[in-house]
Amino acid sequence: MLLSAEKVTKRFAGFTAVAEADLTVEEGEIVGLIGPNGAGKSTFFNCVAGDLAPNAGRIRFAGIDVTHAPAESHARLGIGRTFQVPATFEDMTILDNVMVGAFLRHHSRAAARTKALQVLELTGLKDQAGLRAKSLGTPGRKRLEIARVLATEPRLMLLDEALAGLTPSEIQRAIALVRDIHKLGVTIVIVEHIMEVILTLAERVLVFNQGRVIASGKPQEVIDDPAVIEAYLGRGHARAARRE
Amino acid sequence: MRWGLLALTLAFLAYPLILTNPFYQDAGALVLLAAISASAWNIVGGYAGQISVGHAMFYGAGAYLPLLLYQHWHLPPLLGVPLAIAVSLGLALVVGFPTFRLQGHYFSMATLAVAELIRIVVSNWELLGAAIGLQGPAVSPNWWDLTFRSAVPYYYIFLAVLALLLAVTWYMEQSRLGYCLRAIRAGERAAKSLGVPVRRYKLYALMLSAAFTSLAGSLYAFKTGFVDPDSGLGILVSVQMIIVAALGGTGTLVGPLLGAVILVPLQTATNTWFGGGGAGLTFIVYGGIIVLIARFEPGGLMELWHRLTAPRTRRSPAPRHAA
Repeated sequence: MLLSAEKVTKRFAGFTAVAEADLTVEEGEIVGLIGPNGAGKSTFFNCVAGDLAPNAGRIRFAGIDVTHAPAESHARLGIGRTFQVPATFEDMTILDNVMVGAFLRHHSRAAARTKALQVLELTGLKDQAGLRAKSLGTPGRKRLEIARVLATEPRLMLLDEALAGLTPSEIQRAIALVRDIHKLGVTIVIVEHIMEVILTLAERVLVFNQGRVIASGKPQEVIDDPAVIEAYLGRGHARAARRE
Repeated sequence: MRWGLLALTLAFLAYPLILTNPFYQDAGALVLLAAISASAWNIVGGYAGQISVGHAMFYGAGAYLPLLLYQHWHLPPLLGVPLAIAVSLGLALVVGFPTFRLQGHYFSMATLAVAELIRIVVSNWELLGAAIGLQGPAVSPNWWDLTFRSAVPYYYIFLAVLALLLAVTWYMEQSRLGYCLRAIRAGERAAKSLGVPVRRYKLYALMLSAAFTSLAGSLYAFKTGFVDPDSGLGILVSVQMIIVAALGGTGTLVGPLLGAVILVPLQTATNTWFGGGGAGLTFIVYGGIIVLIARFEPGGLMELWHRLTAPRTRRSPAPRHAA
């Protein structure tokens, strides 16, 4: 087991955003986290990434307790993450952005540069290496974030809505990229609310609603689950679906 | 690029030999001194993006300690230089350690508060000359007192220190520390997610910056042979470093030097034109420059230069959004 989260709870001033959420991820899996807006999937995700400290529960990565470890130690251990709103280093070039990631495991500039160029090649950003990050559009930025994380040589990659805001053709390219990364042996946890993406990518999904995990399993089984339909579409649709 | 650097170096080396008027030689030394302190500030304020408004505390330590050793114990002022650097490193830790855990303006506020506190304490401390200040050797018995009548020796000492500082900065810029500092400036949360030890690197930047600022303060004391709370520890000392760096371009290697080359002669000129009443005018000039930089070119003149020389086709087409 690569990652395990047990009964993770996160409260914000009395509001419980995540309540006793469990998640286990095996090495080599692609796991999807879905749920309607405000379901707590991003908060849970940020707890796993080390950005938020959970109020209760325990998170272990590769046998190490990381529940209260700071965000920067997560990267060192091999957990990489992207942000919902891309947080690229705007005034730095695309190559320099990726080199910051590469410097985690390569201390000399030459080695970091070689690693970064290799990652840019893989992610299809090599032609733009010398441009500043702010010259990229949304799809480019999301791609750059993935490249930057990849340069840290993660074992587990957490993707936070890495495909939101993309056009259908861009989504197809992004799905192909995630598949390529997975083929390199990187385990992936992806938060997404585009169902199509989750259905094509994930082997297993967890559905969040109102801070709780209400269903988990294979994507096809989960979307037929009446509790999931109810969470997404409301009670009336759930009843209609049952009648069919 | 290489030829440009060579030409620039030669120009700086030849300047006091070509312009032999003592007024210009003195002005040249002042430009270099301002460039040293602004370049030192630039390490933490520019590269790391942690805006210190209290660098006068390091500058003041650098200016006071050599003169203190001389005036009270008749020790060579030069001994005060490493002592001042040690004190500055201590101050950097005291200010940086608690505030670098936090993001945003806490560091700026803490530096401002500590610097003002030190200024007030020093203004009332007899040992440190209180409001009157300290004096260095009037006539030099030894060369190591670094007391010269002409500005030219100072000019070359300052030039050597500036070259050393720029070399250190360049080396840092090319290293892991430099990349990580720029990442911290661009986005702390993202930098952390990539494993950058944010707090530790901010501290390193502040300590490196403090050491060189302290050295700049010592050089000032050697040249003027005198320091008082206003000239060594005043808020204007901190503000000048910020303005000079911001005018040229923060987070760039030569930005602070460019800023000093433009701003210091301007200051000298306004002081000459307006005579003794010019002290308040400096604030007005600084204020005007802050407004202009903030409004039109937050990246400073270096950024303006990059924008003007960049090819037009750099921007990729605007992102199309799915309906």
